[in-house]
Amino acid sequence: MSARISREDLRKLVAEWLAAGKKVFGPVRVKAGLELYAPLDSAEALLLDGWIRPANSIKELVFPRHEALYGYRILKNRVELVDLAAEIPEQIAIGAHPCDAAALAALDKVFNWDYRDEFYNRRRAATTVITMACAAHDDQCFCTSVGLGPEAERGSDALLHERDGGYEVRAISEKGRILLGGLAGETACPTAQTSGANTPPRRFDSAQVAAFAKEHFEDPYWAERALACLGCGACTFTCPACHCFDMVDEGNGREGVRARNWDACQFPMFTLHASGHNPRANQGARQRQRIYHKFVMYPDKFGEVLCTGCGNCSRNCPVGLGVLPAATEIGNG
Amino acid sequence: MLLADEVSSHHPVLSDNPYQPHMARIVRIYKMVENNHLFTLRFLEDHLAHSFRHQPGQFIMLSIPGAGEMPISISSSPSRPEVLELCVRRVGRVTNALYRLRTNDVVGVRGPYGNGYPMQEIIGNDLLLAAGGLGMAPLRSLLWYALDHRDKFNNITLMYGAKRPEDMLFREELTALVDRTDINCLLTVDADPSATWKNHIGRLPSLFDHAKIDPMRTYAAVCGPPVVYKFILQRLLELSFPKNHILMSLERRMKCGIGKCGHCGIGYKYTCLQGPIFTYWDAINLPEMI
Repeated sequence: MSARISREDLRKLVAEWLAAGKKVFGPVRVKAGLELYAPLDSAEALLLDGWIRPANSIKELVFPRHEALYGYRILKNRVELVDLAAEIPEQIAIGAHPCDAAALAALDKVFNWDYRDEFYNRRRAATTVITMACAAHDDQCFCTSVGLGPEAERGSDALLHERDGGYEVRAISEKGRILLGGLAGETACPTAQTSGANTPPRRFDSAQVAAFAKEHFEDPYWAERALACLGCGACTFTCPACHCFDMVDEGNGREGVRARNWDACQFPMFTLHASGHNPRANQGARQRQRIYHKFVMYPDKFGEVLCTGCGNCSRNCPVGLGVLPAATEIGNG
Repeated sequence: MLLADEVSSHHPVLSDNPYQPHMARIVRIYKMVENNHLFTLRFLEDHLAHSFRHQPGQFIMLSIPGAGEMPISISSSPSRPEVLELCVRRVGRVTNALYRLRTNDVVGVRGPYGNGYPMQEIIGNDLLLAAGGLGMAPLRSLLWYALDHRDKFNNITLMYGAKRPEDMLFREELTALVDRTDINCLLTVDADPSATWKNHIGRLPSLFDHAKIDPMRTYAAVCGPPVVYKFILQRLLELSFPKNHILMSLERRMKCGIGKCGHCGIGYKYTCLQGPIFTYWDAINLPEMI
C-alpha cells in the first residue's frame, strides 16, 4: 500500500529535520526564473511548485565542488600530513528529481570501481534522497531517451508523487524507510502516470549516439558543432553526472591543503601536458569527449549511459549547445 | 631505522584515504643530463621501503607538498628494491618545485599505479626495447628487470637514441652494456659535434640494420616522443610484428591516478589504471591515443 502526506505535513517534516540539526537540501527560488538546490534554512524555503528543474544538481551533496583531501605542514626536512576527515552530518535531499537521483547511482560506480573513494562514500552514506516525481517537463528534458522517466526510482531512497493536493510517499531503500518511518508506503502508487503530460517525448536513441561517436570519431561534425562553444564548462558543472576533478595544493610553502575541485573536460588545460603537447587539442575534440564519455566510455565500463536526460547542459549553455542538440542530430539514424 | 619519535610523526594519520602519499626522502640527485636528473627516493617508513613492490612500466604519483602532484614513471627495476629511482625532466610547475629540493628533503609518493608491462607474457620470449630521448625512463625498469632475470628471456636487444652524446640518459650504465654478450645494446646519436662518441651515429630506426629480430617470438617495448612512435612502429609493422607484441608506454595529464578524476581517459580506457602500457592493438582501437 502507499501512504499519503499533505503539503503542510511535508513542510512540518522538513521543519522537524531542521530542528533535529540535519542538513536539508531542496529546490529554492533565488530570483524569478532561477531555482537552485540549496541548503534550506526553513521549511518554508522549500519550493514545491512552479519549477521544472534547478540550474544545479544534488551531486554537490556527495561530491562538493571543493573538498580538502588532507592538510600538509612543511617542517625542517620533514612533512607532516594532517587528517582533515570530519564527520559528515546526516543530510537529506528533498524534492530532487529522478534525473538527479539516478546520477548518484552512476557516480557510485565511478567512485567504487577498483579503488574506493571513501570521501565520496562517507558523504553518500550520510545522504538520503527523497525524490519528487516530475509533474511537468520542458523542451530540454529528455530522460526518456536515456532509459529513465519522470517517475524513475534509480538512486532514490524514497519517492513522492504529487496527488490531489498532497503527496503519495513510497520508501524505496532501507534509508528511506528509516527516515520516513510510518509515513511511507511500500508499493507503487496505483495511479502513477507513466506516459502523461509529465513525460518528455523520446528525442533520440542513445545506442545510435554511441554508434555515431565510435564510427565517426574523426568526422568534421564535431568541429562544426563546437564552433560556438566558449569552453566555459557550464555544461559539466551543472550536470548531475559529470564528476571530473582537479587536485591542487592550496596554501603556501609552509602549510596548506591538498584539495580536489571540480574540473571540466571542456577546458584546454584539462589534458595539457607540461611539455605543451595536448592530446585533445581543440574544442571540437573536447565536445566530442563529453558525448563519448557519456555514451561510449562509461557504458562500456559500467553498462549504462552517464546521462540522465536532465537537460541542464543545454539550459545552462550560453550558446545553446549541450547533449540534447547533439544527440538529436546524431542519434536519429 | 628511524628514531621512535620520527616514526610517530610520519606514521600514516589518514584513514581510508586513497589520495594519501607516503613520505619519502630524496637520498640522491644525479644530474644525468641538464634538466633531466635522476632522483633516488627511500620511504621514511622502513616497512614501506622493504615492502614496496612494482612492475616494470608502472608509475607513481609524486607529491611536492605546496606545489602539487604529478605522474612519474619508475625508472628502477623491481629486482633492485629498497629505493625508487625517478628520471624527471624539468619542464613544468611541479617539476620545477622538485628541482628546487635538495638531497634529504622529503616528497610524497602514491602508488604504484598502472598496469605495467605484461611480464608473464613476455617471459620466455625475445625482448626488444626501443626508446628515444626521455622514453628511456620507463624502459630502464624493464631493461634491468630483464638483465637481472637474464635466464627468463631469450635474446635481448636495446635500441636507444638521443640527439647528442651529452643528451643520452643513463649514458654511463648503457655504454657499459655495449660490451656485454648477453644483450645487443645499440646506442645512437643524431649528431656528435664533440667527436667523442664511440657508438652509432644516425637516426634511431637505422639501428634495425644491426639487430636480428624474429617478430614472432619478440615483444617490443617502445617509448619516446611521437616521432619515435611514428618511425619505430612503421619498422615493426614492416617486420610483421603481431600487433599485441608491440607495447607502448603512454603519458597523459593525470590527477588522481586511480580512475576517478577523468583526466587521462583515452577512448574507453583510463591510462592510469588500464595503461600506461598499451599494445599497438589497443592503439588502433582507441581513438586519440597518440
